[in-house]
Amino acid sequence: MTDTPRTSAIRTEGLAKTYGKGSSAFKALREVNIDIAENEFFTLLGPSGCGKTTLLRLIAGFDFPTEGQILLHGRDIAALPPFQRPINTVFQNYALFPHMTVAQNIGFGLKMLGWDKARIGARVAEMLRLVRMEPMADRATSAISGGQQQRVALARALAPAPKVLLLDEPLSALDYKLRKEMQIELKRLQHETGITFVFVTHDQEEALAMSDRIAVMNRGQVLQVGDPRTIYNAPADRFVADFIGESNLLTGRVMGAAGPGVHRIALDWAEILALGQPDGAEALVMIRPEHVQVLFASTEGALPATIAETVFVGTETRLHLRLSDGVAFIALLPNADATSERLEQGRDVWLSVAPGTARILGGDHG
Amino acid sequence: MADAAEVARRYQAAAARRRWILKAPALLTILLASFGPLAVMLVYSVMEKGNYGGVAFGQFSLDGWTAVFFKYDPFDETTSLVVANLTVFLRSIKLALVTTIAALLVGFPTAYFIATRPAESRSQWLLLITIPFWTNLLVRTFAIMGLLSNQGLVNNALIWSGVIDKPLQMLFTDGAVLAGLVYVYLPLMVLPVYASLERMDFRLVEAGYDLYATRWKVLRHIVIPSCKPGLIAGSILVFIPAIGAYVTPRILGGGKNMMMGNLIELQFGQGRNWPLGAALSITLLAIVTVALVVYIRNTAGKGGAHGH
Repeated sequence: MTDTPRTSAIRTEGLAKTYGKGSSAFKALREVNIDIAENEFFTLLGPSGCGKTTLLRLIAGFDFPTEGQILLHGRDIAALPPFQRPINTVFQNYALFPHMTVAQNIGFGLKMLGWDKARIGARVAEMLRLVRMEPMADRATSAISGGQQQRVALARALAPAPKVLLLDEPLSALDYKLRKEMQIELKRLQHETGITFVFVTHDQEEALAMSDRIAVMNRGQVLQVGDPRTIYNAPADRFVADFIGESNLLTGRVMGAAGPGVHRIALDWAEILALGQPDGAEALVMIRPEHVQVLFASTEGALPATIAETVFVGTETRLHLRLSDGVAFIALLPNADATSERLEQGRDVWLSVAPGTARILGGDHG
Repeated sequence: MADAAEVARRYQAAAARRRWILKAPALLTILLASFGPLAVMLVYSVMEKGNYGGVAFGQFSLDGWTAVFFKYDPFDETTSLVVANLTVFLRSIKLALVTTIAALLVGFPTAYFIATRPAESRSQWLLLITIPFWTNLLVRTFAIMGLLSNQGLVNNALIWSGVIDKPLQMLFTDGAVLAGLVYVYLPLMVLPVYASLERMDFRLVEAGYDLYATRWKVLRHIVIPSCKPGLIAGSILVFIPAIGAYVTPRILGGGKNMMMGNLIELQFGQGRNWPLGAALSITLLAIVTVALVVYIRNTAGKGGAHGH
């Protein structure tokens, strides 16, 4: 399901980073092997402290790996200082130079590369146009809004036409609407420039919306790499299923195969069909809330449950349910039909899972 | 109902009065402490000198001011420039300038070093910087004298290691005064520069490296402009006391390498010429003011707007 990258832009081999020594050593990254294709929008996704920022800093050259290699178009750059890598970064808080104007900020990298004044001027004008900031060229960076600072930071990092652009949670400081706008803007910039983007975020929605491929990380390890659909529909393990979107995770007994890649799983009160390969007698089954249908009468293969709470969230209604064994369960129902009005608290309902949507997860069954 | 407005107005008036009463002590202190002495100096400088020091009040005279620059020879009735005074002015300006530059060159790396230590050890480094302040200036200056004298530590070490075979005359030179001044005023450079570096966002340094700036270029284009307020404050804090220094040139410069502080002291002491002393003091003040204006104009102009 994962595309095979055509030409690799960044590849890491056995990359590891340990801070400190002896008993106080902290392994920020262990055995990271990723392969980012040229012209790809690649996202490193994970909770804070998962190592995604460390990985980004190693690629940028702000930190150096304890072990392993970082290959840029096949050349090991792990030991090069940042100013010798054709890689630029958009920093989380933009890190714009406060003593320079917008145009001076954008031109800084070019000036350091030794471009002449006329060429810098032309390139800066081009960049200002690209991020739609032409009228702001001579402003102080403190005299523009957060969204505009974001655009300047992007223009500054794109100006030297790097091989790879690194973005460290660049949208986290913006408000919701601006963030949505910038997501589209970033995609546009990536298409127009054709530069490989490596994007770090802890926001799974952002990652799903923008990425060609996502690497989900936790505790210094890459757990799964894949396109957004694969990551969402077929998470590799419990952590990925839990972190990306919402999911109901139930443990059941494997009753046998029901077809190629489909197994019958017995839960406490019903038997359901799930995709995937169990690795034992027990299996962890993931059911996404939007794949659940609520029925008002007992049906073959439906799970009995009680409505604990109903939350109206605009386009949908979120149902917090309790299964008969007391386990919490979430269902997400579109508000299009009239059934949503019948979902009062305390009502007994039956949950049916859309065929082909339940999935058996690998890894631990904890 | 009309009373309510009246009460409110009275309350506001009372509040305004109270504010002025509360402000008064601070205003009075500022006024007395900054303008009082100046006024006294100004008045003294335009009086006739008293016979045993002091001034003869009521006898207006510009002799004090004339004596700053000119001397009158009663025998051949000519007026000439007082070269000795001008030499002292120039030496003071030169030494204060060189002291400031030396303090910048030594103080900036020191401050940078402290600012880049882990947060918990920075205060310990700062404490080390301030330790010399715990000892009296006079004692420290005599200690430097002990180091630099002909039988001092430095000369003995040089002779012992065979670099020289007879002691170098280091004490009572401009070099000795300079060394003393830099040593004494260095903390005044380190502290404000450190304060500004500590506030600097070190991600700017990373951003600089990321945008192809080498270490030297990051220093020149990012770090120095970012901590300019601290560099300016430090330079002013070193230059002003250095140009008027008294103890250091007196002890390490001997009698012959006077600076303005010593010249002024001479007029109020042995010279018994208080009007000249007062006029010299005001001249020093004028030199400092001019130097500051020129310095701030030149440093604030470059690099455009600066975030504070």
